[in-house]
Amino acid sequence: MRHPADPDDPEHPAAPGVRPYLRNTGPGVRYQPEPPPAPSPGPPPGSSGPPPGEQTTSLRPFVLTSGRVDGLDPNIGLETQVSSHPGALSARLSPEQRAIVHLCGEPLSVAEISARLRLHLGVTRILVGDLRAAGHLDVHVLENDFPDPETIMRVIRGLRSIS
Amino acid sequence: MDFDPYPDNRVVGTARVPSGPQRTAPPVPVKIIVAGGFGVGKTTTVGAISEISPLTTEAEMTMEGVGVDDPGQASSKTTTTIAMDFGCVTIDHTLKLYLFGTPGQTRFAFMWDDLVRGALGALVVVDTTRIDDCYPAVDYFERAGLPFVVGVNTFNGQLGYNLDEVRWALAVRDDVPIVQFDARFRGSVRDALLVVLDQALDKAMKMRS
Repeated sequence: MRHPADPDDPEHPAAPGVRPYLRNTGPGVRYQPEPPPAPSPGPPPGSSGPPPGEQTTSLRPFVLTSGRVDGLDPNIGLETQVSSHPGALSARLSPEQRAIVHLCGEPLSVAEISARLRLHLGVTRILVGDLRAAGHLDVHVLENDFPDPETIMRVIRGLRSIS
Repeated sequence: MDFDPYPDNRVVGTARVPSGPQRTAPPVPVKIIVAGGFGVGKTTTVGAISEISPLTTEAEMTMEGVGVDDPGQASSKTTTTIAMDFGCVTIDHTLKLYLFGTPGQTRFAFMWDDLVRGALGALVVVDTTRIDDCYPAVDYFERAGLPFVVGVNTFNGQLGYNLDEVRWALAVRDDVPIVQFDARFRGSVRDALLVVLDQALDKAMKMRS
């Protein structure tokens, strides 16, 4: 027979004064938070933010950009081609910047960088601008705002040849 | 904090950075916007002609507070994140065509300015059962002076209305082409894009002279 005040006995809870989470907790059993809910496509309706216990796996965008939310170079467009400088790989860079440098060994568009690294487009543009300023990337800015007729003719011929 | 910059476990550590003068010169990028309401076939259009399966990027859009029913609120602008699908067609090693599919059903005050800068033109995809979905896109391209073509997507070959009726409903200028196409077929998408490129060529010729 257990002692009436045995904390292991759910029928006879510990004396008042023992905080609730210490009751019903036998030796060797540590307090554990509720297990995270089964993965669901989205947070349950009515809740804001991630459900309690769920680990967020990505940083907030402004952390990646050192707090900046603007200062975008308007010349860095979605289709703008970006390529890494040799030697940029040995520089000290954040993981995201390093990933961009790795990816741009061959010229790649800003939109593709964003999609492949699953980085927000605005964040990608800021990071690309930073890497360019630091001399790690070439950003190939076009001189003309609107393509010339010869370029358009080449696109037309190229598309026509698609069957 | 564990941040995984390579969420799909792609090995990027082996990417080579070419060195020396033999580095490849980047292609000149040109772009065409594929706009239209939700579910009208923008992604299908992009996917039909793109050499890569369409990629998605997320962008922040500033949305104008329309129907401002809370005058007490200090700001009528909110930002929202939208997904944008895109694909590309390599014309040759010096020229690459990008296609960006953008949502246009809501009144995004937009980053469209960024998107449209340098664009050759736009294909506005229309579903005749929900024709008003494309009004914001048509409004925007008219004001921005961007050449555009209205492409009526014939779902299953069905065209609910004839093209004159569509033109009447959209009230676009007579020089804006309205074509019908099927977003599922490469040849059909190619022909619609060629009409956009004709418009772009006209504009480029006028700019030169």
